[in-house]
Amino acid sequence: MAEIRGEKSPRASGIEAVFLASREALLRFLRARGAGEEAEDLLQELWMKAAAGTSAPVAEPLAYLYRTANNLMLDRRRGEVRRLRREREWSDATTMGGGSASAVPSGERVLLARDEVRSLDAALAALGGRTDAIFRRFRLDGVAQQEIARENGISLSAVEKHLQKAYRALLQFRSRSDAE
Amino acid sequence: MEEAIGWTIRLRHGDAGEWEEFAGWLEADPGHLRAYEEVALADDEAAALLPLRQPPAAEPQPWETRKAPVGRRLVLGGAAAAAIAATFGYVSLVAPRDIYAIETAPGQRRTVALDGGTNIELNGASKILLDRKDVRFARLERGEAWFEVVHKADDPFRVEAGPAVVRNVGTKFNVLHEGETIAVEVAEGAVLFSSDGEEVGLSAGETAQRQAGQVTTARRDASMIGGWRGGQLNYASASYAEIARDLSRSSGVEVRAAPEVAGRRFSGVIAVDPDRELMRRRLAALLEVDVRLAGQGWILAPPDR
Repeated sequence: MAEIRGEKSPRASGIEAVFLASREALLRFLRARGAGEEAEDLLQELWMKAAAGTSAPVAEPLAYLYRTANNLMLDRRRGEVRRLRREREWSDATTMGGGSASAVPSGERVLLARDEVRSLDAALAALGGRTDAIFRRFRLDGVAQQEIARENGISLSAVEKHLQKAYRALLQFRSRSDAE
Repeated sequence: MEEAIGWTIRLRHGDAGEWEEFAGWLEADPGHLRAYEEVALADDEAAALLPLRQPPAAEPQPWETRKAPVGRRLVLGGAAAAAIAATFGYVSLVAPRDIYAIETAPGQRRTVALDGGTNIELNGASKILLDRKDVRFARLERGEAWFEVVHKADDPFRVEAGPAVVRNVGTKFNVLHEGETIAVEVAEGAVLFSSDGEEVGLSAGETAQRQAGQVTTARRDASMIGGWRGGQLNYASASYAEIARDLSRSSGVEVRAAPEVAGRRFSGVIAVDPDRELMRRRLAALLEVDVRLAGQGWILAPPDR
């Protein structure tokens, strides 16, 4: 990897230097995050992503690397969940023949997605307008908790409480929609 | 579970120290990872679902829109202008033309205000030719543009795209010119669309598409037309290939559909998000594909598991 150094822009070499210096810590993180034997491979993937550069300047390269590593794990987990769901759909499917497991017409899938959006909206709305708005501000608009506290004139811990409540509802929503 | 939720919230804007601390928490008990993953997946799914909300009206614009016709103007001299005029199929002998081009890179957008109350919004990867001597004229060389035109009975606004001409009777409409395809969608008012010797009148909610010399018309929800301006791409049974093309233009990320999925169809709304990673994950969830990284671009591929 050493030969990659020196030929990149200063910003890129910055993040690469951080990567090299934090290799062990990132590896530990990937293991703790459930990467198991694949931790080394995933670290390699992380390295490639970091070396390819990001479109925006990275303010905190190490936090960025952790976040990217976390997203790699999340991507994998999501892939597994999708596979499990497909297998379940497959065995549930009443249709015969050689169609693929995702043979649900996309129009229908979209309807499902829309129904889900509606019921998720309803679940969040049921928590009260403030919790709903704070959650959206935090998760969808990407506003930090301090800023939300200031906007609403409430304490940081109050913001945290609203968010906790919203996340509990999301978990409930998820276990419910999974059970269907 | 409380703790796992706490971590999910903290790590949203976590610094390196917090991530390290999180690793320690995970190591402390194997149950922690399971709990965290459950919260993370719930969080992820909610984020993928929620931006789909309709109507999109109240959503903030994801990009700043630049007002006024600023930017890279390419001013052509007389000879070049005449050459371009000749390719338009006619040369005006009365008024000399003064053609200039406005071009956008993928992911970039421009708003152009012309005299006479015309507003043009140019999507990414697009090029439009305008005439300083004729503010009732535009030629979409490639890409996509949204037009808002004030009605003047004696002086219709004219948009050319390839061999097609859209003459407008005062309205809001969208024009797409991509390779051989030319599509016009009318959001308000009415236009006349002529191509290959045929002429069709289109009113609000009507669309015309010219492909391989054939013009077909269809209807769609007028409020959905030009949704790209607000970062919303609206589809009724669009192929993944078309969606990839639109995403490339609007987001600046080069998106391609793998042959296995290029023909699949999707109906619904896709939000173009400045947060690329979020957009990528949302796409994967909505289109049920793997969104693979390929160089600087993305490939929509069949899920490999």
